Amino acid sequence: MFVKPFRYVRAESLAQACEVLRTADGTAKVIAGGQSLLPMANLGLLDLEAVVDIGSVEGHRGVDENDGFLTIGALTRHRDLERDPTLIAQQPLIPAATSWIGSARIRTRGTLGGSLAHSDPAAELPLVMTALGAEYELTTASSTRVVRADEFHVSYFTNALAEDELIAAVRVPALGPGWGWGFAEISRRRGDFAIAAAAALARVADGHVVEARLALGGVHERPMRLADIESATTGASASELDARIGPVEGLQAVSDTSATAEHRTHVARVLALRALTDAVRRGEAA
Amino acid sequence: MSSAHEVETSLKVNGVAVKETAGAHLSLLRWLRDIAGVTDPKYGCGEGVCGTCTVLVDGEPVSACIVLAAQVDGAAVTTAAGLCEPDGSLGPLQRAFHECHAAQCGFCTPGMLMCAASMLGEADHTLERHEIREGLHGNLCRCTGYGPIVDAIDAAQGSAP
Repeated sequence: MFVKPFRYVRAESLAQACEVLRTADGTAKVIAGGQSLLPMANLGLLDLEAVVDIGSVEGHRGVDENDGFLTIGALTRHRDLERDPTLIAQQPLIPAATSWIGSARIRTRGTLGGSLAHSDPAAELPLVMTALGAEYELTTASSTRVVRADEFHVSYFTNALAEDELIAAVRVPALGPGWGWGFAEISRRRGDFAIAAAAALARVADGHVVEARLALGGVHERPMRLADIESATTGASASELDARIGPVEGLQAVSDTSATAEHRTHVARVLALRALTDAVRRGEAA
Repeated sequence: MSSAHEVETSLKVNGVAVKETAGAHLSLLRWLRDIAGVTDPKYGCGEGVCGTCTVLVDGEPVSACIVLAAQVDGAAVTTAAGLCEPDGSLGPLQRAFHECHAAQCGFCTPGMLMCAASMLGEADHTLERHEIREGLHGNLCRCTGYGPIVDAIDAAQGSAP
């Protein structure tokens, strides 16, 4: 609770915030919801000269639908992701996964861009965006660029953002015809970060998988797509998935007070199977 | 674009307008307790996990320990004391907690009350007990006295918090 005093900057645009970051030489942080930054400040992990609040910047909120894609503003709060009628209808994996984040209090304040930029490898939104093949629109005071989720998330709390760069928006495909989705997670207590989590999408025809996408969180240094398992599911019905999915390979799971690396690796496969099964069942009904 | 170490923040706290200049690094919880003298929200974990600092900001629940007061300038804040009747007597939710003996050491109680107020305020149907338990998952009682807390919230349903 003994947070060191800092200078508080209220930005009126993302460009203004980026300009403060550019001139601060690493001693400034942006705050949107603050649900990761302020716990770190309270724990004494930060020593900041300035905090730049982008919470009153106009725009960059809500969901726009265009040509089979959904563009979500980075300042959209988790509770709005959970309740947005366009997302619920067009990409329900996002609201479903968001409901697993923290408690209602965290979801009231936390933002999409904040969670992605924090890049916790056990967080729900980086996982879902990796599964969906999302594109992040990044902005500085003078330029913008687009980076795919799997290129953006590099390692533990490490991503492709430059020091003066912010996430402005996220673009995901809408759920197409014949596609289903699934999300599965376990944690020690509801609302904790995941011991492991899985997000899956499957396109189904005549009860069999045509193509699938699967990503895991909490079991690796970043959210991880599992191409081998994805291709192994091709042609399978929901009841055949268990026999098709082998052990999950290539994880760098860690042991901590919540779970051993061995347990994480074991539940990774269990959750992958559950998420894929739900995705195929929903795809059959779609 | 404004920039300062000290900022003026105006909040309506339990219906009373408060305007103070203080360090911009102060959390809403510290601002309420140390600047505004509103001490019913408690400091527990400092990470937004335990729920004992829960207050409503413009009707929505937040962990006051991980929100800066400056971030919510202009908002209406409700704490557990704001659930009283205008004459200072206990409101329906507070009365239900009292009658059900839903406090042991009492440290989590202000947060439990605000979580309950938010839960009942948002509910569009009479909550089942399992839904009340689910709604409380982000508020910890280290006395483990959850049973009477669920009883109290169940008893208070249908009456305005």
